[in-house]
Amino acid sequence: MRNKLFIVFAVLVAASLLLAACGAPATPETVTVVQTQVVEKIVEVTPTPDASIPTALPAGSVQVNGAGATFPAPVYADWAYAYQYVDPSVVINYQAIGSGGGKKAIVDGTVDFAGSDSLLKDEEYTAGKDLQMYPTLAGAVVLIYNIKLAQAIPTPAAGAAATVLPALVLDRATVVGIYNSTITKWNDPAILALNPDWKDYLPDADITSVHRSDGSGTTEIFTKSLASFSTDWTAGGASAIEWPKGNNVGGKGNAGVAASVINTPNSIGYVELSYAMSNKLPFASLVNQAGKTVVANNDSVQAAMAEGTFSDKLTATIVDGKSDGAYPIAGYTYLILHTTSMTDCVKAQKVLEFFKWAMTDATAISRASALGYSALPDAVKTNVLAKLAEVSCNGAPVLK
Amino acid sequence: MKRTQTLSEISPPPRLRQLFQHGDMPWQIMLVLVSILVLVLMLAIGWMLWQTSVDARSAFGWSFLAPTADASWDPVNDQFQAWPFIYGTLLTSLAAIVLAVPISLGIAIFLAELCPAWLRTPLNWLVELLAAIPSVVYGLWGLFVFLPTVVAPLGAGLATLFEPIPLLGALFTGPIPLSGASRLGAALILTVMIIPTIAAVSRDVLLAIPPAQREASLALGSTEWETIWQVLIPYGLSGILGAIILGLGRALGETMAVTMVIGNSIESSASLLKPGYTMASIIANEFAEAVTKLHSQALIEVGLALFVMTLLLNMLARFLVWRVARKTPQEARV
Repeated sequence: MRNKLFIVFAVLVAASLLLAACGAPATPETVTVVQTQVVEKIVEVTPTPDASIPTALPAGSVQVNGAGATFPAPVYADWAYAYQYVDPSVVINYQAIGSGGGKKAIVDGTVDFAGSDSLLKDEEYTAGKDLQMYPTLAGAVVLIYNIKLAQAIPTPAAGAAATVLPALVLDRATVVGIYNSTITKWNDPAILALNPDWKDYLPDADITSVHRSDGSGTTEIFTKSLASFSTDWTAGGASAIEWPKGNNVGGKGNAGVAASVINTPNSIGYVELSYAMSNKLPFASLVNQAGKTVVANNDSVQAAMAEGTFSDKLTATIVDGKSDGAYPIAGYTYLILHTTSMTDCVKAQKVLEFFKWAMTDATAISRASALGYSALPDAVKTNVLAKLAEVSCNGAPVLK
Repeated sequence: MKRTQTLSEISPPPRLRQLFQHGDMPWQIMLVLVSILVLVLMLAIGWMLWQTSVDARSAFGWSFLAPTADASWDPVNDQFQAWPFIYGTLLTSLAAIVLAVPISLGIAIFLAELCPAWLRTPLNWLVELLAAIPSVVYGLWGLFVFLPTVVAPLGAGLATLFEPIPLLGALFTGPIPLSGASRLGAALILTVMIIPTIAAVSRDVLLAIPPAQREASLALGSTEWETIWQVLIPYGLSGILGAIILGLGRALGETMAVTMVIGNSIESSASLLKPGYTMASIIANEFAEAVTKLHSQALIEVGLALFVMTLLLNMLARFLVWRVARKTPQEARV
């Protein structure tokens, strides 16, 4: 008897729980909240009703797969999200497996497009038959630092403004010197000369330099810049290198480098501008080849891009620019496509439309710059779009 | 004492028709196939690693594995030597085992023999929970909390204590980086990670020992300590060794947490207090962006070396277990 009663009770409890669970979303308040959220999103990304994009296909019916570099991954993911509102029929997956993996995947034909920060080698062009690289974005790499001041900043007299230290300034030789361990103290004369405001505050302490331990496009841009800055840098420029022996540690990913810098007094490390911006980390200004002090931002990266000259393969190096405004540690990230051998023409069209949208649409560009990336200057963009228009599927051009 | 007979020993050889009538034969075939699968997998992995590292093996030969202080790992010039990673893996894993074994045995003995009943369930539960924490969580905690607050000051203390001692001093050459990122940090994180594994298995081994053993020992006038140390531990030794092998396996292969705390720097110093590198972490770090053929092949060869090293250490441990097991009664073999 007691057993039966218990079962009845349990059933009642379960039923009431179920009812409660189902009932919750039906309350009027919650519904309004959900609706406003959706409306906001649509408002945010729909100022581009693109008549050329056919909407006949059902939502989510075309799956486009991409893989590759981690450097542009945040913005590719953001674009893929926003693009659902432009063309609901396409779902874009981008797997940030690294440039090397992306290039291998596109050569093998296992993805529809690849992202890469490093250039294809001749043998990869041969193996992939009809590969073409297209720059999509540029980004900068910045030096973040954590300096334990030699003395506390004095409290200002009543009414006077407090001393605020400006961003640290480094020139090309000192950056190389620090990573080469030839400049080992923060109060090295070379650093002091560049930072008169820091004169009383730079400590007599060893510099710990932090680098990326994982192979990455960020490291490639940074080390290629170092190699261009000075012949003293002998370790070369690549996605992973043998770092000169000295007081250095490796951190995994942007986050690992940032954590090491934050945890280590008197350290310096390099991360992507986008990462430093979104985490509000202070970073150093650099003196470029023209002798001007520049802060990494969209303008200085645009200035660097403006003077880059493209090879016939549509690739360019923009490190260590010569113009006054150019930020010296910057690089392009590339999209890689097969130009003639794509067989699924619907998919090919969706891929090209997506990247055309990403490069030309005002919303897409503002989304990218909000994340700390720089859109292509118009001259480059014209080049890239012309090249994209050459892509064909089964003999017919893909973009109409 | 007669040992328990297995099924195949008890039942008489049946006739063929009987076998198929009750599905015994298909069942047996299925089980054999499943167990062969393990062997096939092992061979397939080994073969793949061997095949895909062929260029690196022919380019560097044995010098790839040779112990040298100034090994170079230079993807730009395609020069690769794996010794810093082999050393880092061995040093951190062995240090972790040395630290973890006494602690885990203590936990196991307490849980199995001495713990009051009301405390046993929550403690057991906590130990098992500790084993279930994903390694990346250990890594995050290690990087942000454990390294700066525990490892850095501890390392500084160890350096002042041990550095002057000859020989041993080489393992404790300071100064430890201010962030705490070092082989010591990795070893301590590994210790924390393998304690629950070793403790939980050893506890089960101790609990499996027949109560008669304890009663006999206590009846002969032994104290609790003597019973545990002279009866229970020797009785369950092969099982406890098995638990230690499990822990060692986890330590050797652990990637994420170690990568996050070890500092990832190729150091020529042998010291525990310096940043280092392990075999698993170099692969995790560089494989995704290894663009040249030799670079990716060299990383695969590091994987091959890790695979062989794990096999060898396991075989050595199995051999130890076998040596011990010959001296212990059948029932205690685990």
